[in-house]
Amino acid sequence: MVSYLARRLAFMVPTVLGITLMVFCLLAYAPGGIGAGLAVSGGQMSDTSKVAQMQAYLEDRYGLNDWVIVQYGRWLSRISPVKFGERDLRTPSGERVAPPRAIDDPPLAAAFPTPAVPVDAFEPAAGDDLVAQFKKLQRDAEGTRREYVGSVRLFRDALADWARAQGPAMAGRLDAKGSADPGRFEGVAIDPASPGYAKLRAAADAMHAKWVAARRAQALALAAFRAGPYPKSGIPLVPGLVSLDTPDLGVAFSKNRPVWDLIAAALPVTLLINLIAFPISYLIAVPTGVLASVRRGGWFDVLSGFLYLSLYSVPTVLAGVFAIGFLANRQYLGWFPVSGLHESGAEAFTFLPHADAAGTWHRGYLVDTLWHVALPVLCLVYGSFAVLSKQTRASMLDNFNADYVRTAKAKGVPRKDVVLRHVFRNSLLPLITMFVGIFPAMLAGSVVIERIFTVPGMGSLILEAIDLRDREIILANTFMIACVNLLALLLADILYAAADPRVSYE
Amino acid sequence: MQNRFGVKDFLFLVVLLATLGSVWLSMVQKTRMELAQGEMKSKLAEIEQQVAQLGRTLERGVGVLPPPAGSAGGSTASAAPSGPAAWARPGVKVESWPAPHPATDPGSIPGFAVGGEFTELFEAQPAKLTPYISADVYSTRVLDRVCEGLGSFNPKTLKMEGALADGWQVDPEGLWIRAHINPRARFSDGQPVTAEDVRWTNLDFIANPLIEAERARSTQDNLKDVKVIDERTVEFVFKEPLFTNTLIAFGNPVLPKHYYARFEPGQVNQATGLLMGSGQFRMERLPNGPDQLDAQWTPGQDIVLVRNEQYWAEKPSLDRMRFKTIKDDLGRLVAYRNGEGSMMLPTSPQFNAVLRDEPDFEKTTYALKWTNMRCGYSFIAWQCGPRNGKPTPFADTRVRRAMTMLLDRERMIRDIWDGIGSVSKGPVNPESPGSNPGVKPLPFDPEAAKALLAEAGWKDRNGDGILENEQGDAFTFEYTYATGGEISERIARFVKDSYAKAGIVMKTRPVDWSRYQELLKLRDFDAITLAWGSNAPESDPRQIWHSESTKEGGDNFTQWRSARADELIEKGRRTMDEAARMAVWREFEACVAEDQPYTFIRVAPWLRFVKRDFGNVNTYKTGLQPEEFFRMGTAAATTPAN
Repeated sequence: MVSYLARRLAFMVPTVLGITLMVFCLLAYAPGGIGAGLAVSGGQMSDTSKVAQMQAYLEDRYGLNDWVIVQYGRWLSRISPVKFGERDLRTPSGERVAPPRAIDDPPLAAAFPTPAVPVDAFEPAAGDDLVAQFKKLQRDAEGTRREYVGSVRLFRDALADWARAQGPAMAGRLDAKGSADPGRFEGVAIDPASPGYAKLRAAADAMHAKWVAARRAQALALAAFRAGPYPKSGIPLVPGLVSLDTPDLGVAFSKNRPVWDLIAAALPVTLLINLIAFPISYLIAVPTGVLASVRRGGWFDVLSGFLYLSLYSVPTVLAGVFAIGFLANRQYLGWFPVSGLHESGAEAFTFLPHADAAGTWHRGYLVDTLWHVALPVLCLVYGSFAVLSKQTRASMLDNFNADYVRTAKAKGVPRKDVVLRHVFRNSLLPLITMFVGIFPAMLAGSVVIERIFTVPGMGSLILEAIDLRDREIILANTFMIACVNLLALLLADILYAAADPRVSYE
Repeated sequence: MQNRFGVKDFLFLVVLLATLGSVWLSMVQKTRMELAQGEMKSKLAEIEQQVAQLGRTLERGVGVLPPPAGSAGGSTASAAPSGPAAWARPGVKVESWPAPHPATDPGSIPGFAVGGEFTELFEAQPAKLTPYISADVYSTRVLDRVCEGLGSFNPKTLKMEGALADGWQVDPEGLWIRAHINPRARFSDGQPVTAEDVRWTNLDFIANPLIEAERARSTQDNLKDVKVIDERTVEFVFKEPLFTNTLIAFGNPVLPKHYYARFEPGQVNQATGLLMGSGQFRMERLPNGPDQLDAQWTPGQDIVLVRNEQYWAEKPSLDRMRFKTIKDDLGRLVAYRNGEGSMMLPTSPQFNAVLRDEPDFEKTTYALKWTNMRCGYSFIAWQCGPRNGKPTPFADTRVRRAMTMLLDRERMIRDIWDGIGSVSKGPVNPESPGSNPGVKPLPFDPEAAKALLAEAGWKDRNGDGILENEQGDAFTFEYTYATGGEISERIARFVKDSYAKAGIVMKTRPVDWSRYQELLKLRDFDAITLAWGSNAPESDPRQIWHSESTKEGGDNFTQWRSARADELIEKGRRTMDEAARMAVWREFEACVAEDQPYTFIRVAPWLRFVKRDFGNVNTYKTGLQPEEFFRMGTAAATTPAN
């Protein structure tokens, strides 16, 4: 059993990696690319927002211009608890501080030789001033680096203009957008006498000046970083090379918040609804399935089958709209609230229902919450009865015809015991398979229901993320669900062994 | 089978019952504590109210403080008895402003009462509420209630007027702006608003590369420096003389340095809502220290603002404002009807259907429909430049004009948007003083359009009903639109039919929004449909219309080049005098309308339902001003105002 478990767990690692790599590549190669929908969203653009500038900012910030595999590697090293290289720092308030970002060399070093960078001496300030000093240097480094990145863009524009001035042979090196990728101009002899050279030279000089400034600021900030303004984060394994630290799911592009915070806010909501919904569907569907199989062909069997199947065929969207339009609308029944999880001002409610001095009853937080989730739960459960009860019924019927049941009946075991002890227990195996499917479903949440009832759960989160191509949220979600799914499948196999003595993994 | 109830079972049962019982008892205890806390809170609120009332009485009657400037016809010039010259640069005109006051005085309306809660229903939730870091329209609606800038647009005239500033000077050359902050102005924690707060907001918050305020930063690139002259006087210095300088100086909300500087940039970036300002409302709870970030707004819950009892000018009458998100259209309408919301944005079909089917609806609701400065316009953009190196038929102005005249835009609005909206005539918002009343939308006139097309060389030469040019190529083009809306599908069908009647073959190309963005960037389309939004009376047309903006990074994706327009844009941007600039914009609009690089389709009006329980609901050129609303007193609530 142990070796079986170890083998299964070991196989999970490549499976999860494969899943995330596939999702990553799908996102990266989708037309429009990662995060393209973010610069502007919603179908209407504001005429004052500088779309291109925002895009360039996002590309720079998340390194979207690098090779996909490099980006994937970066993501992987972030979520891995084992870290390589320099350890991050951690502020007293818990934020992780990464070392100042490295600065690429300026392009086309052959035609425009890179200037030398003077080395500045770093004088660490004493005590608490070190933090202030580091913050200032960190800000300088980031500011000068952005300016350098901007100057590279200007240089590329100048290069494109120059190439166009040289005639079709050079202009052919431009890409479809008409902009110049310096990689395509590597090794091209740039003649100082060519038309438009002066402007290109000026752009290159400006770029070099910014590069020197950025390098100097970065070196100083790095020195201040190494002086240790804050304590280091994580536990070292091999000093300076390998360390252990908490996995970091990254920061969502679209909301600019840590993905973990978003999940931590959405998950309890989805879990609450599912933890109410699943027991209800099991407690109703399984007993009625048993009953239907016992009275096979009787009125109960036919009626429950008819009812469940008709419920099953009502689309959730329609049910949700009807629920809001009739059950929640005060023009009709108005029994339930329309949306949300709590009444306005529920924070001030007491937890349990209570009566005040005047004798009027107040709902209290608990009842209020249950009242609010009633409609989403209703929409979530009504369709699940059919599958579950039919499955129970079918596997019960299978066992009714088995030899051991006939034997039990023949030796005079009471009918109740035959049904519950023999047949029902043996019919549980297929239900186990279905049961483990619940776990990933619990985490995923229902996209449709959460949208209709404005439930801020996992379904809403992932839907918005897909709309906006928010890579970080999608990947974190995929990763989480993949892990839970694999573990659930493993759990199913273990439960088989527990439920059925014939199954063994030795 | 042994079914005896043994000692073990008994013990198990006892432990189970004890656990359940203690859980129950602890819940009861918690409830009792909460009741006690609730009582204390209401006592506290009472005391707060009394203190606030005391403050008001003091301000009005006892005369310990100077009378509040601008309140109920108060004198304005006397607010600064020392005279403006003390802070001003000599020789430049000083404009003085009273303290902010409602555009319509609510106190004069019958039924006026203080108190009550106003709930606005949002269609989507803002991601976060920190100023400059969040950028969506929903967070802006919250921020506008909490933060103030040095100036704001007058809701009736759309002129920039002082808010936090009680006076300012604008350099006639356009290179500097000096503003003086009203000495009464203070943040919601009682600290005064100083020149240092203004400088810090601009240079250490927005311009700080570690803070993720890129959107605000990108509009700031013309700002050279912000100087603190004295405690209340601040001077903005600019690189170039552009009219947008006043927007940069006056439009940005001023943040309290003493509050925001407490937090690390990382904390500011990731916080869900660090929100404090000098406005009429404030967040219910504010974190007190850098480690107490839990007290901020939690996404998923309603956003609740309370009246800022420390407000330095005329205080609003509403106690609280609540912003509640309901994503589903039907759900939102039902919630509004059930009384869970006081204001909502109906969809066009909802607006019409409700008013048509329910005659009583308007007895409890103001159904508002009007055009204001925040109304954008939708259009079809024609590729005037080359697409993939080849010219399109739309390079010819005559063809573009004919394309517009072939579209019955009145009918489009009737059929597609249920008659809500008006035909757009040009790129300037119709409510803006820069809108040219002489420019009319091109008429729907298929005959004249066909004549124009024939003049441009497009005739049906072989009798197959399709137009051809001299080389015999049929007139076909591709129409690109973003999928994801029924409206865009309907527009595509309508446009296709209209052009088919005239012998033009239109192929539709639905793409998803991300791909659409890329096509815009590559200028890889014949015709594309989109809408531009608007949030101020005038915007800088350079980004969309200047021939320089055809390059990568600009939004002139139609690659329309007009020397005349370029000249007008450059002239308008550098004209600091408002009246003269508006004249330039009017000329500019005429120039664009003449050339029709876009077929302007529709200006979308604002639609709102507001409960008649609230008074002083006025539609302005800036939109609505919910901070002026008041909840009707119980006596007046039964008789609707207006």
